Amino acid sequence: MFASKRLSKELLKLQDKLPPGITLVKADNFEEWQMDIRVMDDNPLYKDEVYRLKFSFSQSYPIEAPEVTFLRTPTTPIPWHPHVYSNGIICLDLLDRQGWSPVHNVESICVSLQSMLTSNTKKERPPGDENFVRYNTQRPRDISFVFHDNQV
Amino acid sequence: MSTMSSPEPIPPPNDRRSSRASSSAGLPVNNSLSVATEPSDLLVRRKSRLSKIPPDVHLLEYTSPPDSNLVCLICHSAFDRPVQLACQHYFCRECLVHALAAQHIEHKTCPTCRRSIDPEREPLPIPKIIETMLDELVVRCPNTKSGCDWVDQRANVHDHVMLYCEYTQVECPNHECRLAISQKDFHKGCLHYTVSCEHCHTAMMKRDLEVGCVVSVSSISCPHCAADLLRLDLKAHVKDICPKVVVPCQGAVVGCTLRAERTEVVEHERACPMATMAPHFREQQARIERSEARLEPLARKVGILEDGLSNITNMLYPANGDHSSFPVTNPLDPNNSDAFPPAPLMPTPDFRLPPASFPPVPPSNDQSQTPFTNPTQPPFDSQVHHLLTLHDTLRDEVSRIANALTDVEGRTNMMILNENQRVKDEMLHTNAAINSMRMQLHWLMSATLQQRNSAASRATGGSTSASGSGSGTQGASSSLGARGSGTLHAPIRRLSDSTRQDVKL
Repeated sequence: MFASKRLSKELLKLQDKLPPGITLVKADNFEEWQMDIRVMDDNPLYKDEVYRLKFSFSQSYPIEAPEVTFLRTPTTPIPWHPHVYSNGIICLDLLDRQGWSPVHNVESICVSLQSMLTSNTKKERPPGDENFVRYNTQRPRDISFVFHDNQV
Repeated sequence: MSTMSSPEPIPPPNDRRSSRASSSAGLPVNNSLSVATEPSDLLVRRKSRLSKIPPDVHLLEYTSPPDSNLVCLICHSAFDRPVQLACQHYFCRECLVHALAAQHIEHKTCPTCRRSIDPEREPLPIPKIIETMLDELVVRCPNTKSGCDWVDQRANVHDHVMLYCEYTQVECPNHECRLAISQKDFHKGCLHYTVSCEHCHTAMMKRDLEVGCVVSVSSISCPHCAADLLRLDLKAHVKDICPKVVVPCQGAVVGCTLRAERTEVVEHERACPMATMAPHFREQQARIERSEARLEPLARKVGILEDGLSNITNMLYPANGDHSSFPVTNPLDPNNSDAFPPAPLMPTPDFRLPPASFPPVPPSNDQSQTPFTNPTQPPFDSQVHHLLTLHDTLRDEVSRIANALTDVEGRTNMMILNENQRVKDEMLHTNAAINSMRMQLHWLMSATLQQRNSAASRATGGSTSASGSGSGTQGASSSLGARGSGTLHAPIRRLSDSTRQDVKL
């Protein structure tokens, strides 16, 4: 009830007004939403590409962080980034239990990811990407990432 | 709101008053952590049995979006009992409790700025003006969807929902039943039993039956005349319109026995005298019923008035026929001819017996005669009217008596004056008579004295030698006589003689 109330308020706001480069794709229920983001500057890595984000909300949202991953579709690839695995899982402290704060919301997550991509210059995957992608059976929220890169 | 038993980590709000009281004192974070532990399903159930569920402020709908400065960043709705952190960030009390509960047990930080929190000191109470601003936000009743159109300041919503709102869900009056029901339907008893819809024959709860089902608006053809119509309207159609249905003649109330299809009956009614008369009969019947209905309260009213009147009568005349207890005794009353002499003045009608309402009582000397009519037979058209008449008669009587009294008084005065005058005159006469008698007596006395003196002087003059045996008195009288003998030879009548008066009288 808490989550759906808050999400309904967020949805109203998203339908009303969105920052540039962010669009609402699908929000049929209060469990899973999809958003599209674009990088607005001329970073050659991400120029003219659109990436789809999948938000999964638990009942405890916003106390608990939502599960946010990139979604591969025919039109939207997974962006190259040293903290984004090729299966779409994002290693970002904001989305982890420790880094999450209930004052964040869908819009602020999108903006954070936008800026995370903008500031990147390396076209690479995280180390051990292949193994992780092949053997990982955990859900993103249960993975304990080690955050070492303070530049993001 | 109704799914309180669904698994969610956020417990239902506690009683608003008690939590508000504790919020002003500042809430220790350690204590509040226990709030986040999920209460058992049973506990929640039992609690809601006892009372209505207080409104959740987070779920309130505002008439206009609240100021963005009054919105909690965690729940994105207007603050509910906000608290403040030392870094000047505000949150709803519960939001902050939940947010901090998810954090590391040793290290709590502000959800907004991640500044670490001192659980001994924080959260801090908020300025009063913010509370006031929040209280003045205008909200709709949480039961708006059920039909309540209450809109008022947020400060009043708790009382409205808990005390006044008719649409608040409460526990079913049946203790075996665990479902909720609107406050306004509470007195109807448990409506949570299954009935079958008369249109679609699906089982549904009595509570929901009023809303109706989908089938009721589907179309159906009349079984008598095959006309297409909505299922909802079928009953009305058969009752009033359908030409094929068998109905009795209008004159059935007066005795016509015809029963046929509606079209035939309409034909028949044109000729049937009973059907022609039926409306008049019905009208008369209705009129009689109305009159009877009106009569009944009137009869009751009359009964009440009669009771009141007999009470008043009893108060005025405690015992019938007892003249001594009569409040105003009328000396002119012909009924009292034994006690008083017959009236010398004009005879007055007995004021106790207003001629309009009382049968006249024949004058009689019988003391036991009742001055009042039989109480079982109320003689008055109106109690008040009778009392007024009585009052007027009494007043007339009193003024008549007053006139008679002044009359009598004047006469008596005149008589006394006349008598006085006469007595005075008589007294004067008597006085005069007494005076003349006194003078007569005086003259007689002096004449006698004269005679006696002259006799004495003649005797002394005759005997030249005065006897020495003459007494002192004789000597005194002789000297007196000697003096007078020289001046008064004959008694002289004098009207007044002061020197002799004291001797004489």
